[in-house]
Amino acid sequence: MATPSSEQTIPKLSKELCSRLLSDLERAKRPVLYATKCSLDNAIYNHKVGYLTPGSKKVATELNVSSVKKMSRAIFMLEILLRNLDTGAVNTKRELYYISKGYIKHDSSMKPLDFADQGESDEIIDFICEMLECYREEVNCYANDRGGQTYSQQLVVTETLPDGDKAVVDLSKLGTSPFQPKNRPQNLKLSARKKIDFCVIVESEGTANTLVANGFTKRHSCILMGAGGVPSNAVRGWCKLIQDQLRVPLYFFGDLDAYTLQNIYRTLKAGSAASLIRNSDYSAPDVKFLGVLPEDIKKYDLNDYPVKENDAQEVRALKKASDALKNDPFFQDKRNKGLAQILKWLLENKRRCEQQAYFTVDPRDVTMPEKIIVEKIKRGNYV
Amino acid sequence: MAKQAGNKITTSSTAEYFSKNLQQVGFSSQTKAVLTTLKEAVDNALDACEENGILPEVHVVVEKAGAGSIKNSDQIRIRVEDNGPGIDADDVPKVFGEYLASSKFGRGRCSRGQQGIGISAATTWAQLTSATGARVITKTKTMRKALSCVVEVDIKNNRGVLKDRETIDWERPTGTSVEFLVDGRIQLNGEAGLLNYLNGTALVNPHLKLTYKLPEIEAHTIDRVSETVPAIPEATEPHPHTMKLGEFIAHSHLFGKVKAAAWLKKGFSRIHEGVINDLIKGGIKKGVLEKSVDALNEAEFKDLFVGLQNQKLMAPSTKSVLWIGEEALSKSIKRLGAVDFFSVVSRKPTICDFKPVQIEVAIARLEDKSIEAESAAQVLRFANRVPLQFDKSACAIVQAIQSVNWRSYGLVQPKDSLPQGPYIMAVSVVSPFIKFKNASKETIDASDELVAEIRLALIQAGQRLSKHIRKEVKASELEEKIRHIEQFGPILVNGICRIVNAPDARKKKAEEGLLKLLGRDAKATEAELEEAHAVLEAQQKKGLPAEADAIDTDELLKEVAGEAPARKGKDGKPKKGKNSKKTAVAEVNA
Repeated sequence: MATPSSEQTIPKLSKELCSRLLSDLERAKRPVLYATKCSLDNAIYNHKVGYLTPGSKKVATELNVSSVKKMSRAIFMLEILLRNLDTGAVNTKRELYYISKGYIKHDSSMKPLDFADQGESDEIIDFICEMLECYREEVNCYANDRGGQTYSQQLVVTETLPDGDKAVVDLSKLGTSPFQPKNRPQNLKLSARKKIDFCVIVESEGTANTLVANGFTKRHSCILMGAGGVPSNAVRGWCKLIQDQLRVPLYFFGDLDAYTLQNIYRTLKAGSAASLIRNSDYSAPDVKFLGVLPEDIKKYDLNDYPVKENDAQEVRALKKASDALKNDPFFQDKRNKGLAQILKWLLENKRRCEQQAYFTVDPRDVTMPEKIIVEKIKRGNYV
Repeated sequence: MAKQAGNKITTSSTAEYFSKNLQQVGFSSQTKAVLTTLKEAVDNALDACEENGILPEVHVVVEKAGAGSIKNSDQIRIRVEDNGPGIDADDVPKVFGEYLASSKFGRGRCSRGQQGIGISAATTWAQLTSATGARVITKTKTMRKALSCVVEVDIKNNRGVLKDRETIDWERPTGTSVEFLVDGRIQLNGEAGLLNYLNGTALVNPHLKLTYKLPEIEAHTIDRVSETVPAIPEATEPHPHTMKLGEFIAHSHLFGKVKAAAWLKKGFSRIHEGVINDLIKGGIKKGVLEKSVDALNEAEFKDLFVGLQNQKLMAPSTKSVLWIGEEALSKSIKRLGAVDFFSVVSRKPTICDFKPVQIEVAIARLEDKSIEAESAAQVLRFANRVPLQFDKSACAIVQAIQSVNWRSYGLVQPKDSLPQGPYIMAVSVVSPFIKFKNASKETIDASDELVAEIRLALIQAGQRLSKHIRKEVKASELEEKIRHIEQFGPILVNGICRIVNAPDARKKKAEEGLLKLLGRDAKATEAELEEAHAVLEAQQKKGLPAEADAIDTDELLKEVAGEAPARKGKDGKPKKGKNSKKTAVAEVNA
């Protein structure tokens, strides 16, 4: 949905929305705003599309005494965002919180709108995005560029700057420094100096760094990326860009546990229920799950652990996994049967194995994890 | 052990014992001494009136008479005058000067006094601190002139002695006036204050007309709100499961030469032919039951006693408890001061720890806005209609109040504490056998069963109270909504108009439209509020207390089980139970 022209479409959509509000009010008619319902029960998965798309469910917000405050705040914040779009300024959510405070300070009639904390203003920004069915980057509200450190000897990135200038980054010239993708990778153009064979996305940025330091990218014509936990919008958009522009196979390498599979890998591949409206731009359906696979534990004699009863995150993830098998259209789809089976295995065995376990295979050989990864790719040992 | 030469073993009289241990019966501090003296005199006055079917009119004077003999004390004059039946001249020394001389001891009736210790202890205190006993004026129906005298306790012999005896003219047809001069200090306010005692007494005695004159405040009269003297229920025979072996044997001495079986049937409640047969089946020899009670030996008594303890007997009758009633209580609570709203609950008499007991609860919110919101609610505790004012934390009543989740009724309550705010919570426990923790009757023993029963009453009262609080919440919601409209309406319209560059004319029209829209919302709330108000008023008109409406027993049970009650329906209106039942008061009166 995001197009380079969102600078024009958002103001247009906003004006249409406000016109409708105004004419409703003039006729003393109660305005109702509809927003796409962003939850699993409104998520549709079609393997041909490859990511979770929104269903037909909408959340209606009616203007009444209890919503008038929220609406007033939304219009107030929308004005700030439109001004940013107009001037090309960008801000984080926290900065927007302080900017709103500044406006209120200078105009006492706005005092009732004042936000008590950033949580309140964040909620309003999200509400605006839902109303306009856009994502925050489209209203120039960016998060910190987290995760996605990328290494390659072949990749060249060309960025179109707001003033039209172009910046060219040749990743092979960066030494051991990684390239950090932007939250809005749509302005980037990718090219390869030599054919790239594959792209590996490693869950842990630290492990990605180790692999590079040990010469992974020197020995293989590839792209190596650290996801840094749950992928941020930057990582998700960046993977999509690599998939679409370079058409190289993508593999995800991470822990074998319910959390990684659902919260990290699924989000990377098909997006999330919370971001239904932006999954089209922020998911890479081609990415495969390289491991750790349940069979790897036996095959490589990896150290695995039982899920700890007091590990709240893992216990929650297991609970979520059993729900996912019943309700999540992604795991229910026939094409993802292999992934659903891993979830089942996790639920039945209640064990987990970390990506770093590959280092136990031959402690004297630092390149052993690299060898296993490459071998798995070569043999098609992934899901 | 060999008796040591020169150490003579002596016995001392009851009076001697108490004169040395007055702290055990409420004279442990100077302020407490004044309160206890007043309390004992008022208790006696009320008991005397009620026993004789007289509507009590009690006049209390407490004043400083000079410096006391004890360091840092005042000499206090305490006079209590009633319109009771008066006391026969022969009985005057017994009533005021002899310990354990009581008409009520162990009779199993719900009277305030039980043992006959209190007023004699007050006389002793007066005697010890001011060297003068109790000045008594009394007149019965048969006396032409009133008897005036001073009663002193002959401590060595536990006897009352009359001094300065004379007959005088007295304007009262019948009645008693007793005056003590004691050393002590006056505390008017606070939980242990005289005012708290007098107000509390008025609350649980709706038929009492009380006039009092205390230092530094003007004379005050609290009129009666009920014209009926509570009919004191007849005492019932003791229940064998409430006795100990010694009491059991002592009880037999009252019966002389009757067969053991007849004694059991006549002298105890809940023992009938069937129980006697079961005793025989249980191994008691028929011959023992045929024997005369005065011929039974200790082993036989013990067999009988143990046999009875092993029998499953019906619980004691609840007929012997006396209650105030919701109607009288709701009138009475208004005498405590300006009250915003209140709720009262009279539970049906029930059995706790094998003793009949009845719980009544009155909760009121005071209009007095000077009371700090964070201060704990004022708790008034009553045992057999006598206020309890000391050692609050160990009391069954306080423990029950703390165990209730008042937050679900809209009150503020820190965890495991008393609720906060300008509330009065009055809990009355009535039973012929109240288990006190000490002889000065300050704290009710917190047994699990009793606490659970009090808790039930409190929860019912809380449910009723919450209706009022919800009404208030609705009113404040309305205010909030109107405020919202005034605040946000113009801001919203201005913002929209700026974004679409609308002319002023459109802006004005939109503002009007918005006010119309939001005004409709406010009107709907207003209508809801009026409806709630009307329901309350309709109930008040019915004559019953406003709160005597349906209580959802299912909900009550859920709450007792510790579940949060489903307070509101989807529309935010109070939820009506499917199987609403009539209230406790209706059941009791029926």
